[in-house]
Amino acid sequence: MRNSPAKATSPAIKLENVEKRFGDHVVLKQVSLTVDEGQVLALIGPSGAGKSTLLRCINLLERPTAGTITVDGVTVETDHKVSARELAALRSRVGMVFQSFNLFPHMTALRNIALPQQRVLGRSKEEAEERAHTLLKRVGLADKALQYPGRCSGGQQQRIAIARALALDPKVMLFDEPTSALDPELGLEVLKVMRELADEGMTMAIVTHEMQFARDVSDHLVVMSDGAITEEGDPQEIFAAPQQQRTRDFLRAVLDRR
Amino acid sequence: MNEIWNDFMTYRSELIDGLGVSIRLALLTFAIGLPAGLLLAVASFSRSKAVRITAVVLVEIGRGTPALVMLQLVYYGIPVTLTGFLSAGIALALTTAAYTSEIIRGGLQAVPEAEIEAGQALGLKNFHIMRDIVIPQGLRIAIPPLLGFCIIIFQATSLAFTIAVPELLAQAKSIANVNFHYFNVFVIAGLLYAVITVPASLMTDRLERKMSRHLQMQ
Repeated sequence: MRNSPAKATSPAIKLENVEKRFGDHVVLKQVSLTVDEGQVLALIGPSGAGKSTLLRCINLLERPTAGTITVDGVTVETDHKVSARELAALRSRVGMVFQSFNLFPHMTALRNIALPQQRVLGRSKEEAEERAHTLLKRVGLADKALQYPGRCSGGQQQRIAIARALALDPKVMLFDEPTSALDPELGLEVLKVMRELADEGMTMAIVTHEMQFARDVSDHLVVMSDGAITEEGDPQEIFAAPQQQRTRDFLRAVLDRR
Repeated sequence: MNEIWNDFMTYRSELIDGLGVSIRLALLTFAIGLPAGLLLAVASFSRSKAVRITAVVLVEIGRGTPALVMLQLVYYGIPVTLTGFLSAGIALALTTAAYTSEIIRGGLQAVPEAEIEAGQALGLKNFHIMRDIVIPQGLRIAIPPLLGFCIIIFQATSLAFTIAVPELLAQAKSIANVNFHYFNVFVIAGLLYAVITVPASLMTDRLERKMSRHLQMQ
């Protein structure tokens, strides 16, 4: 377990009654949750439970049909039209890492990390590339700056994607199954970077199927099924003694496989 | 064979001048038509419905009208007096813009949605996502079919002989009207077109193969 920073009480992410429907189909049913500054939240549950949808609502890649989202003091009511300014304010505070990396294949690792800084934060090319080099070093890829993503392994691509998100100085980082597309071995190098990030006090929300990682690294565990939170609390406690039948079924299914 | 060669040697300067006009006309057409095609393609992704509909209407008019009709329309039909060369360039550019916008649109659509989403998550504006991510990759995908279309348009510059532009076909026709060696002179004209189009086609094929390899690598 890691030490949480002193001011761990102000919520970095707050979701209130977030609902998402596609026609009659309800994907998220009035979900509320809070992640304090410096906390690591792990979201687990069977596929189709709505974990990724919930995560994608935090930076409005998915528009909730109702509910309120607050990130680092920026509050967005989602039941009316979200203005471009609100959207920009929210997204500037949130970094995101995807299952399939989603690097820009026509740019080198360096440009992938530098370009968004230049466009979003207005940094100079020199400044942005200097920061990119620093971050590449931090994720253990100092020698890959001029490499194109297609020439990098999946684990390397994901670490470049993490550096790309960090370069914009986000207040919170979202991880949407960051290791699901990777061989276990390559997944480990990504998890190592994420663990370091957590130790440095970054606020993180992680959708994952890595149960051991969720148990060891997260401060708060949320178990979802059928678009709602089934159970939440201390990860060690939930893994040791799940209170809900749904959680027990899910944990038995995923843990027995190992 | 010999006779054809003799005719070529006799009229080579007129014929090669004609080829030069054809090439310049094609270049003018591309210089106007290709950027306009890109513009129409990008407009078809606009969030504004009015812009999208305007783009579709322009493209359908451009594709629906035969190039020869477009040529007559621009040269005779509009109340501004333009040289034949300029009229032909504009008319062929309209056709080029309409067709290439569809080719380019296909290329832009081939850029994975996931990359656009990554751009949005990073906070990039739609303009930057288009300019920095979608267009560079989409255009690269569209290059081989665009070159193929440019070859067709180069051949279509021969339509300009109907409005007295002294391009290759017009030169050939006026030579043949004098020496009556219609067969010889048109064979020469055909070969001169081929001097440009055959190497261009081969280059396009090679480029296409090279690019598909590059894409597989990723």
